[in-house]
Amino acid sequence: MARITLDIFRFDEATDTVPHRDRVTLDIPETTTVLEALETAKAEVDGSISFRRSCRSAICGSCSMNIAGTTALACKTPCKSVMDDEGVIRIDPMPNFQPMKDLVVHMDPFWDKYTRLKPYLQPVDKDEDHERERRVSPEDMKKLVDAANCIMCATCYSLCPVISVDPAFAGPAAIAYAYRFIEDVRDGKRAERLAQINEDYLWLCAHCYACSYCPKHVDPHERIVDVKRATIKDRVMMNERGPRHALVVNKTIKQTGMLAETEVIQGTVGRFNIRGLLKIAPLGLRMAARGKLPPPFIKPIPKVDEVRTIFESLEVPVA
Amino acid sequence: MTTLLPEERPLDAHVRTTSSQTKRYGFFPGCVAKESCKELFNSTMLLAEKLGIELVELTAASCCGASVVNDTNHDIARVLNARTYAQAEALGLDDVITICSTCTGHMRAANKELKESEERMAQANAILGKFGAKYNGTVTVRHLLWLLIDDIGLDTLRSMVVRPLNGLRVAPFYGCHIIRPESVNGWESARKPHSLEDLIAALGGEPVDYAGKTRCCGFHVQLEKDGIAPAMVGQNMRMAKDQGAEAVLTPCPLCHLALDGYQADAAARWGRTDLPTFHLPQLVAFALGVPADRLGLNKHLIDPRTIMVERRLIS
Repeated sequence: MARITLDIFRFDEATDTVPHRDRVTLDIPETTTVLEALETAKAEVDGSISFRRSCRSAICGSCSMNIAGTTALACKTPCKSVMDDEGVIRIDPMPNFQPMKDLVVHMDPFWDKYTRLKPYLQPVDKDEDHERERRVSPEDMKKLVDAANCIMCATCYSLCPVISVDPAFAGPAAIAYAYRFIEDVRDGKRAERLAQINEDYLWLCAHCYACSYCPKHVDPHERIVDVKRATIKDRVMMNERGPRHALVVNKTIKQTGMLAETEVIQGTVGRFNIRGLLKIAPLGLRMAARGKLPPPFIKPIPKVDEVRTIFESLEVPVA
Repeated sequence: MTTLLPEERPLDAHVRTTSSQTKRYGFFPGCVAKESCKELFNSTMLLAEKLGIELVELTAASCCGASVVNDTNHDIARVLNARTYAQAEALGLDDVITICSTCTGHMRAANKELKESEERMAQANAILGKFGAKYNGTVTVRHLLWLLIDDIGLDTLRSMVVRPLNGLRVAPFYGCHIIRPESVNGWESARKPHSLEDLIAALGGEPVDYAGKTRCCGFHVQLEKDGIAPAMVGQNMRMAKDQGAEAVLTPCPLCHLALDGYQADAAARWGRTDLPTFHLPQLVAFALGVPADRLGLNKHLIDPRTIMVERRLIS
């Protein structure tokens, strides 16, 4: 047995203007999960503590909350892995969401982003034979399995630093789930899906890997990268900054072996995009004043032909 | 929690390489340390001299791919790095030291894929063979931060300090790719890393704890949409400042560019923070006695010399 103190965020949007915190101390085995500890606190100490839960075994995705600073499923988190030296576990609602009551949050923005990407199969031959079996090879299915494992717990969404500053970003879960249909051979809306997801700021993923904490190993970051590759392959919205950035970086590495900062900035923003360039000009001037501007041209690395050989051996011709 | 158990972490993060015995390491500076953050490259070389280690620069190495090559073509990113490792092997080196979090993460990921799959190694070597190169899979990629702690040791560093930081309150800023994903890096816990804190304390500074230390600086999306990176910088630096930070320490030049460059733009929304940001080797080299005027501190947009004068570290 161990003495564990739950330090819980308390707030009721119907009655409170500011949140407060309550502490509940329990004598329970350290192997107890955070969800079991919350259940015990609710049953034995304070019946008003609110949180979502259903399956209690990491299948339903209801009990995501912020535990000791990172979001996780309470049912999959043993108390001993998150308590501090004094046995205290700090529990908050998921960040990036509006709190509703205690650990329960408004999930609407998260669902809206799913819905926008039409998370259901839209068959190639919709109006034809409904009875016909549509077969998928094991190889094709293998590509979808990881993404299809998503339980929509929103752990990744709540940890996403881009969402925290720009809610226009579709977020990791929705993109990973869109991938599941983009790569599905039975789906007939690949082009429309890719266009929509690019409009929803696919390229705003900052590569921070916060979503690598996914409790179901969906690995949303890898799925986001998969969708980016599909975007380039299908040449979707190639004049937007994301694809332009990707292509110019590749180009400078192929030419010089190095990522040439100056050319990448110009190539992404647009050499003739005067307004865009003016927007970044103040920072450029500040850097220039400190002698910190990257060189305008990069001297190729020794044996740069080898780099070109690598590119030429592996480049996939675009459609 | 999905934090990996110690036995699930990659084994090569703490490995004792031959290079660590001979104190002669392969050195991969990365693009930014050769372009807009030359002060990072210079201070790294000065620190190496102070530590008595030899960093053999892999001068013909290419960019690591910086996540962007991987965004378009996974194979190219991997084989570019295989070429770099082959160069290290050809020089008799089995340790490639990086000074950038993004280089660390992407190079370690490529190396892991090569070492774990015969098929991928064969694909890489078929291409490297076209110009007479071969990668045998003997290289370990590590960050300078790990070298400092594993090979030099905090106790030794502490004993080498000649200019202790006088309790300067320094906020660590890790940079995502040196800690996440844990399955690639795994040198320390991604959720609760403490290497930078330990180092700051060893140099006589006071590490500042704040939630932003393991968060993203926004560098990789600075060009995708205006205002995103400044907002991410502002959010994190606000947290650091509110916890009493006087300066920031980062092992990543991309984070450095974002933190040093965008705090001014973030001020409108997050208030002025103006935290000067040190590159990892700058602060260590300073404490170990390298003259401050050789560390390129004048290149920073937020001049760290102001707080250093205030704290009587320099005059």
